Amino acid sequence: MNLETFKYDNRIVRAFAIATIIWGIVGMSAGLLAAVQLFWPEANLNLQFVSFGRLRPLHTNAVIFAFVGNGMFMGIYYSLQRLCKARMFNDKLSWINFWGWNAIIVAAAVTLPLGLTTSKEYAELEWPIDIAIAIVWVVFTVNLMGTILRRREKHMYVAIWFFIATALTVAMLHIVNSLAVPASAFKSYPIYAGVQDALVQWWYGHNAVAFFLTTPYLGLMYYFLPKAAGRPVFSYRLSIIHFWALIFIYIWAGPHHLLFTALPDWAQSLGMVFSIMLIAPSWGGMLNGLLTLRGAWDKVREEPMLKFMVVALTAYGMATLEGPLLSIKSVNSLSHYTDWTVAHVHTGALGWNGFLTFSMLYWLFPRLYNTPLWSKKLANWHFWISLTGMMFYVIPMYWSGITQGLMWKQFTPEGFLKYANFLETVIQLIPMFVLRAVGGLLYILGTFLMAYNLWKTAKSGVFVPEVEAQAAPRNSGHDLHAEQDPWKHRWLEAKPITLTVLSLVAVAIGGLVEIVPMYLIKENVPTLSSVKPYTPLEVLGRDIYIREGCVGCHSQMIRPFRSETERYGEYSKAGEFVYDHPFLWGSKRTGPDLHRVGAKYPDAWHYNHMDDPRLTSPGSIMPRYSWLLEQKMDKKSLPARIAALRKVGVPYPAGYENSEALKDLEKQAETIVTNLKVGSVEAQPDKEIIAMIAYLQRLGTDIKAQAVAAPVNTSN
Amino acid sequence: MIKNVLTHVGGVENFGIISILLFFGVFAGALIYAACLKKPFLNQMSQLPLEDGTKKTEASHE
Ligand code: HEC
Repeated sequence: MNLETFKYDNRIVRAFAIATIIWGIVGMSAGLLAAVQLFWPEANLNLQFVSFGRLRPLHTNAVIFAFVGNGMFMGIYYSLQRLCKARMFNDKLSWINFWGWNAIIVAAAVTLPLGLTTSKEYAELEWPIDIAIAIVWVVFTVNLMGTILRRREKHMYVAIWFFIATALTVAMLHIVNSLAVPASAFKSYPIYAGVQDALVQWWYGHNAVAFFLTTPYLGLMYYFLPKAAGRPVFSYRLSIIHFWALIFIYIWAGPHHLLFTALPDWAQSLGMVFSIMLIAPSWGGMLNGLLTLRGAWDKVREEPMLKFMVVALTAYGMATLEGPLLSIKSVNSLSHYTDWTVAHVHTGALGWNGFLTFSMLYWLFPRLYNTPLWSKKLANWHFWISLTGMMFYVIPMYWSGITQGLMWKQFTPEGFLKYANFLETVIQLIPMFVLRAVGGLLYILGTFLMAYNLWKTAKSGVFVPEVEAQAAPRNSGHDLHAEQDPWKHRWLEAKPITLTVLSLVAVAIGGLVEIVPMYLIKENVPTLSSVKPYTPLEVLGRDIYIREGCVGCHSQMIRPFRSETERYGEYSKAGEFVYDHPFLWGSKRTGPDLHRVGAKYPDAWHYNHMDDPRLTSPGSIMPRYSWLLEQKMDKKSLPARIAALRKVGVPYPAGYENSEALKDLEKQAETIVTNLKVGSVEAQPDKEIIAMIAYLQRLGTDIKAQAVAAPVNTSN
Repeated sequence: MIKNVLTHVGGVENFGIISILLFFGVFAGALIYAACLKKPFLNQMSQLPLEDGTKKTEASHE
């Protein structure tokens, strides 16, 4: 038997590991600052760059793509080489993957605070960065597949299947959801509008959770858990069923983010049924992991890494039980738009992704530096502090979510809303917001302890840049089982291409069944004749609304419940959003729904409210937007915006942007300035606030045609 | 709710049923596949993470 000698690359693993720790701390800190602003709005120092609406996407992107993203690459680059008994396909690609990915993160950290955002959740980055993401992802995929094709080990362990599914599906989701027409270097409009945009976005958004936060980490669990426990996975059979059932079902579940919205009923029901079915494979996976430790619980007591792993699996189990529960319409009607969702997400993020990442880091550093962990005691402290932090985060958020959900729905015996003033329901939650921030702080403290511990570990050892290994070449024909039973050659485990194609089919079916009808919907959304495109001034206002991330606190989607129509007005219809590129339905109501806010208040009220919400609404936690009163609106970009919007299907007349648009804008701005005078507010017509007011006053007014002065008509 | 949407799109009512059937097809396929795997092969597969061709320098830190 001739053995080949080769070397595993540890340098790339170390690079990703360090990036994971740094971005973890950055991303969590951004989250903490956002959390603090929710009970202490002044914590943004009245700086637009770190106001809540811009900070929230920074936090989510940092923890998802920077922390978990680097953690995922770290784990994959380590385990893939060893499972394939081969070095990575190409070292250059590895480093392009590393530097490219981290450059993208830096670009995100710069553009998001600047307000350059698409506003679509977890897909906020603008088009040039989207293209960079696609390129780096292709580099990663080539490196992954190349390594697999050059492997020495004949069979691909199930972890590799999960990696393949991740690479393919993320590429598909990212590309489809990011299709947009640019209006400038950092502004674009999605080609989808309203209901379709919502459906595509949540098909993406949900599967970002599934295929970025779950499948790669499951693969890593299937590698690192047996490795650390020193015993094989409980049931390899179960892991195969886990894989197929999970990737097939997950892709369908997106519409559970849109229950009771203007999305067609059948799509909602489909999303609900598939979400509930998800319990089975998820729990199969969790039990498979936990049972791997049966008879090895003494090890768990001694090895901090395994403790983290056990909590990660338990959190995975809890989150995947809760997710389906939240997809049941009756539960969702209470939970949706509240902090319950936030609690759910953080069970997954802090528990599953966070703890699994910590677990891998504690396992890897001693091996990368060929020395024992510097302090087990400190690792145990980390464990308990972060676990406590997680409880302090999650429990108050459940409390807050359920409290708010119930308060929104409460009626007096006379049939009036008990808490007609939305703000009452917010003020009730503030103690919970404080506790949540304490939880977040504890969790971050734990992370710092880990960073220190790992740094000390590195200092006390010597880095091992490469590890020598030996294996027979794949085609040496020494595989005993194959000789005993040649039939085995046909197993998928030895067929990466077949496996890849099958996985692609599995995830594409769900995508197609949801997206094809989406095009049908396009033809079938009843066009309400009174719904007109936004005026030029409103377009600018809407784009400011997007820039400021108002969607992070405000929904624009009134569900058909009495408690909502009573509070906000007529429920939202699919046909009202046909010109909304992107849709701005939102997913959380820290503030009230705004879909029918148009014509609710005088212009001057908005002016004062935006300047300082606490002037009009004492106790409000909405940030001040005083910079809108000073900054000039970007009129120069108007033609490009109108032209791009026409390209995505908004029927502005040809040439409108070159002649009438600016005049219409100025005319409407003057009207608002006059209205403001009535409310004894002096304002110049070229300030951003004017555009914002125009947009807010337009919201949801089209269908109550008589209630408003006819909007400036652009389509004739 | 919005009954006027999509109820008249041909075949859309069947999407749900077709989807569920597809799922059961895939699920049954996976079950059969997994059931057909033989014990020695399963053992070999599940051992893969534990042997990586290194000289046991890596895995020995406690
Ligand atoms: C941190 C969350 C948060 C953000 C971000 C936020 N708001 Fe608010 N908003 C609230 C809260 C809470 C209220 C209710 C209390 C009040 O009136 O201030 C509110 C109320 C409002 C209202 C009054 C609604 C009504 O029916 O009374 C408007 C209009 C509004 N916000 C617009 C905006 C705009 C525009 C932005 C972005 C520039 C924005 N908000 C950003 C939290 C937020």
